[in-house]
Amino acid sequence: MKTTRTIFQDGDHKWIAIVRDPDKPNHLIDTNEYLVTHGGQGMLLDPGGAEVFPAVFSALSSEFDPSALAAVFASHQDPDTCSSLALWLEFNPAMRCHVSWLWSGFIPHFGGNADTFVSIPDEGADLSLNGLTLRAVPAHYLHSSGNFHIYDKVARVLFSGDVGAALLPPGEDGLFVEHFDKHIRHAEGFHRRWMGSNEAKRRWCERVAQLEIDMLCPQHGAIYQGEDVQRFINWFDELQVGIVNG
Amino acid sequence: MTTALVQAAHKAPQAGVDLMRIVRINEEIKSVVNVAFKINIMALNAIFLAKRAGTAARGFGVLSNELRVFSQDLRDCMSSLSGLVHACVDDVSRMLQDIRHTRLLRQAVATSSKPEFAAVLAAREIENERHAQSFAGQRRQLKRSLEDAFRMVELGGVLAKSAKIEAAYGQSFAVPLSQVSSEFDGVVEEIRVSLESLRHSAFFATK
Repeated sequence: MKTTRTIFQDGDHKWIAIVRDPDKPNHLIDTNEYLVTHGGQGMLLDPGGAEVFPAVFSALSSEFDPSALAAVFASHQDPDTCSSLALWLEFNPAMRCHVSWLWSGFIPHFGGNADTFVSIPDEGADLSLNGLTLRAVPAHYLHSSGNFHIYDKVARVLFSGDVGAALLPPGEDGLFVEHFDKHIRHAEGFHRRWMGSNEAKRRWCERVAQLEIDMLCPQHGAIYQGEDVQRFINWFDELQVGIVNG
Repeated sequence: MTTALVQAAHKAPQAGVDLMRIVRINEEIKSVVNVAFKINIMALNAIFLAKRAGTAARGFGVLSNELRVFSQDLRDCMSSLSGLVHACVDDVSRMLQDIRHTRLLRQAVATSSKPEFAAVLAAREIENERHAQSFAGQRRQLKRSLEDAFRMVELGGVLAKSAKIEAAYGQSFAVPLSQVSSEFDGVVEEIRVSLESLRHSAFFATK
């Protein structure tokens, strides 16, 4: 079973990270899911793949009523982000799924009906969670051609999908980045190979550098906090991406 | 393992096997459709041949017409069978999805004691049962339609054999008429054998 860690709390406004499953089969990539709660409602960010659903569900339901999930947010269309969609809908068929308009005809293959999906335009949108505004920040081509991150201005948290992701070796899988230089080695290959556009990367770095961010939370690996956030943005800005050997 | 888990573990490979069997049935039906088309062409040639042979082959001509009608009926019948096969494929695919879906839901719900989660699982299992019933109905309908097709082909076999007898009265056309009627008989027998094997497919032995 995964564990939950509350990474931000102000009253009933919370960010809960659902992370690290010791029982996860090795052939599945490890993922982080993030639950944002506000006023008794919840939004699950990148709810995860179908095969990890039992572990995510168990962890989430220890903290929050799954039937009170008002929405899920899919940063992009990959199966590890949202192939569990149909299973979450079993607990609340009225739940909505926010996703780039580009994938709103593709993700329904994972479940849902015509009412489930709320398309996000390319320029982004403000998503409301019981009065809390969560900003869908464009991150197109990082890596998916229709890609968004979620910024919570109040919590100063950015959910950054695959940006910032690291494939951590056993024993180095803490929730937060502890030694940036050591950690970033596990992120470099991933970013060079998965991120397809230097131009898109530059725009994203410029965009998020203007945001006040205390925590940058990727879908894989560890969370960057404090000065490591800007350190990461600078590192990413310098990195040449879209490169493959062979 | 709980009883429900044991049942689910049995259902998954069975649905996979059913899917493979139904795909094989579909391939066999496609080959019968091709043969049925061949009978249509053969019957047309036989009608022209009978016309050339004149009064001596009048009976053969009537039978050729009947065989042509038979080939059309057979094609319609096969088309309807194909529709049923596709419906079965849809149902089995849905059941395979149900099995995975239910396995994951069951694992998730097992970690909680909240009764409302058990209700979600129960609702899912009712839906699964509905899909299973639909599949069982499609399977029964397919079996009935195959039996109808088999009877139709047996009638086609009688027509082909009668054509063989009529060919003997074809005087100077007796040899070509006999050749054509033997071809009819051979092709109809080929279809009969195909349908016979389909009737005994293990797909229909599963409850």
